[in-house]
Amino acid sequence: MPLGFDIDENLCTECLRCLGACSLTKLGRVQPPLARIAVRRQWPEIPEIQVCRFDDCPGRPCIDSCPVEAITRDQQGFVLIDRDTCTGCRACVEACPYGAIWMEEGGSEVAYKCDFCGGSPACVPECVTGALVQKGGS
Amino acid sequence: MGRGSMRDLLIRIDLSNRKATPWSVPEQLKDYLGGMGYGTKILVDEVPPATDPLAPENKLILTVGPLTGTMAPMQPQSCIVTKSPLTGTILNSYAGGFLGAEIRFAGLDGLILEGAAPEWTLLLIEDDRVSFHDAEAVLGKGTAECEAYMKERFGPDVRTLSIGRAGEKAVAMASIFSETRTFGRGGAGAVLGSKRVKAIAVRGSRGVEVARPEEFALLVRENMELIEAACAEEYNLVGMFSRVGTGAGMGLVNGRGALATRNHIFGSFEASTRIDGYAYADRFYTRAIACYGCPVHCGMLHKFTRTDGSSSWLRGPEYETMFSLGSDLLNGDPLVLAQANQICEEYGMDTLTTGVTVAWALEMGESGMLREPGLDLEFGSPGAILGLLRKIGEREGIGDLLALGPKRAAEAGGGDAQRAMQIKNSGFAAWMPRRMKGTGLAFATSNRGACHKRAPIGAEITGQIDMDAYQGKAVLVKEIQDRVNAIFTLVSCRFHEFVTPPDSYPRFVGAATGREISLRGFLTVGERIWNLERLFNIGAGLGRADDRLPERCFQPIRGEGSEGAVMDRQRFEEMLDEYYQLRGWDEQGIPTSKKLKELGIPEYARLEKR
Repeated sequence: MPLGFDIDENLCTECLRCLGACSLTKLGRVQPPLARIAVRRQWPEIPEIQVCRFDDCPGRPCIDSCPVEAITRDQQGFVLIDRDTCTGCRACVEACPYGAIWMEEGGSEVAYKCDFCGGSPACVPECVTGALVQKGGS
Repeated sequence: MGRGSMRDLLIRIDLSNRKATPWSVPEQLKDYLGGMGYGTKILVDEVPPATDPLAPENKLILTVGPLTGTMAPMQPQSCIVTKSPLTGTILNSYAGGFLGAEIRFAGLDGLILEGAAPEWTLLLIEDDRVSFHDAEAVLGKGTAECEAYMKERFGPDVRTLSIGRAGEKAVAMASIFSETRTFGRGGAGAVLGSKRVKAIAVRGSRGVEVARPEEFALLVRENMELIEAACAEEYNLVGMFSRVGTGAGMGLVNGRGALATRNHIFGSFEASTRIDGYAYADRFYTRAIACYGCPVHCGMLHKFTRTDGSSSWLRGPEYETMFSLGSDLLNGDPLVLAQANQICEEYGMDTLTTGVTVAWALEMGESGMLREPGLDLEFGSPGAILGLLRKIGEREGIGDLLALGPKRAAEAGGGDAQRAMQIKNSGFAAWMPRRMKGTGLAFATSNRGACHKRAPIGAEITGQIDMDAYQGKAVLVKEIQDRVNAIFTLVSCRFHEFVTPPDSYPRFVGAATGREISLRGFLTVGERIWNLERLFNIGAGLGRADDRLPERCFQPIRGEGSEGAVMDRQRFEEMLDEYYQLRGWDEQGIPTSKKLKELGIPEYARLEKR
């Protein structure tokens, strides 16, 4: 089974529960702007869900864009950024076709993205409409 | 134990001096939990009841509650408390959307707007920093256009509220718009306009924590399961809202002969199936839009194609609007209804009281008691309906009179005030007291006038209790008023309680804030707030005479389903007597000092004399 999400933006109600759950899991507090997923509002048209597509991303340009090889894809398919190696050059932010890599602010200035929560993304169970589904999930 | 969700911090914004000051919540206020509790206590303590609502001395308090911005579902709303220019009473008014959560992300429990700006102003709130900006570019603009401008000027991630021309021109039922959601009831838009604030943008950078994260997460999970189960049920009201929006129930109400039609003369509308939730879903549905963190997503985004091929969008209409701009005006055209709704949004006017005022004007027009050049004042006439709405928003011609609200317009304009379906000058919500006796008592005794949020509507309309009975309704109304007031300290969506047992609320409050409260204690907070509101209203000059239904309620309903249903005058007065007794008020509806002592607020006995 390929790793990633099945995304249907037509079903997204823009409730932002996915962002809340993500920030709660990663940071221990609800803070949507720092989530590893974003819902870009395009009112009144359907929104764009911005999150790493993992195996669905053609070519995974973020990996090649990184001058210090801080981004890797492991055997299971997780595309991860090594914080210690990242120099904060923003090349991956520019390269990501989904707008799904962001920069930490306030000192650290390293890039961050979805890490798929080690296999069970916290965002997915919050999406009651099925706009965001784990591949192979129901 | 983590930091609680409440930050115990509000910001006072002194508009007269363009100064903002953080204000720590005093211990005594914390007993009011948040939301409506904070707003009510602050207003009652700081604004004398006789204050002119449009004077700088009135305040506008925008608050959130202990669950706002957390993962708790159905908690997107924020609450405005102010003295209402429509009713002259204390007002609480609500909107969903994303503004409440953003205020919480700014690390605030609320804002207190004081004084009046010398020039029209835009406010930008970034965490606890407030800046004042020139509003010239958007003066006179509609709400959506104004909010689009705010996002362009201050960034796409700000959350906004705004007033339209109605608020600028002090129309008594002016609303405050917030990104497709509305603080509708009671004219808060006119208060904001009197302070020369055209719009507010909020951006928060902080995270929200709760006192006991694991316990809180369990409560959230439990609550989510209840809500998701309700959404999956075919005949659950919340499930129906989830699928087609709040207009789903119109057929049921019409079938029970309780759909107010043609200014409340009839109890059913033959064209109801053309304007109900299913009709819009069939013809205009594009997608569902949720408020912050809400799995119900009852907001339905509809798209309309104009004759010239261009598109227009509306998130709605909501059920109450299908009555006030639909059946009550004998308007069975979904496109005209949508357009009427859009006019109310653009100008920033409460669809309820504005629609009810138009209904009265149409009846007066047909009776020859009102006239307006260029408009044929007839029920069902699109030209008359849309024309009157615009004229109210502009305060032009007859609109200047109607902008006073139904009762005051009737008194000032010489029409028949007894045919204006209002209480305390607030237009009726979509329910018929003659058919639903408890709801009638709830309308009459509402502190903000004809309020449907604290009425036994669900129990009466579904037949869970006998809708035509008088017996037992007074106690039911008191309980609902107190309970909903308590729940509005959290600023929960009104529908949350439909799928959540009452004892969940004190548990949520405890896990979120670390503040323990029993269910009984929680409900007492609601009763305490109700009594504070009542004391304020008495101080403002209201009394038993204002807890009155319009004369039409004592005349039989006509038409199918409810022919002859009537409110008996004597029995209504008996219900009112019983209600005052249950409340511990005297026969004039004034809270006794014994009751105030019991509620722990004896010091407020003097308020009525202020």
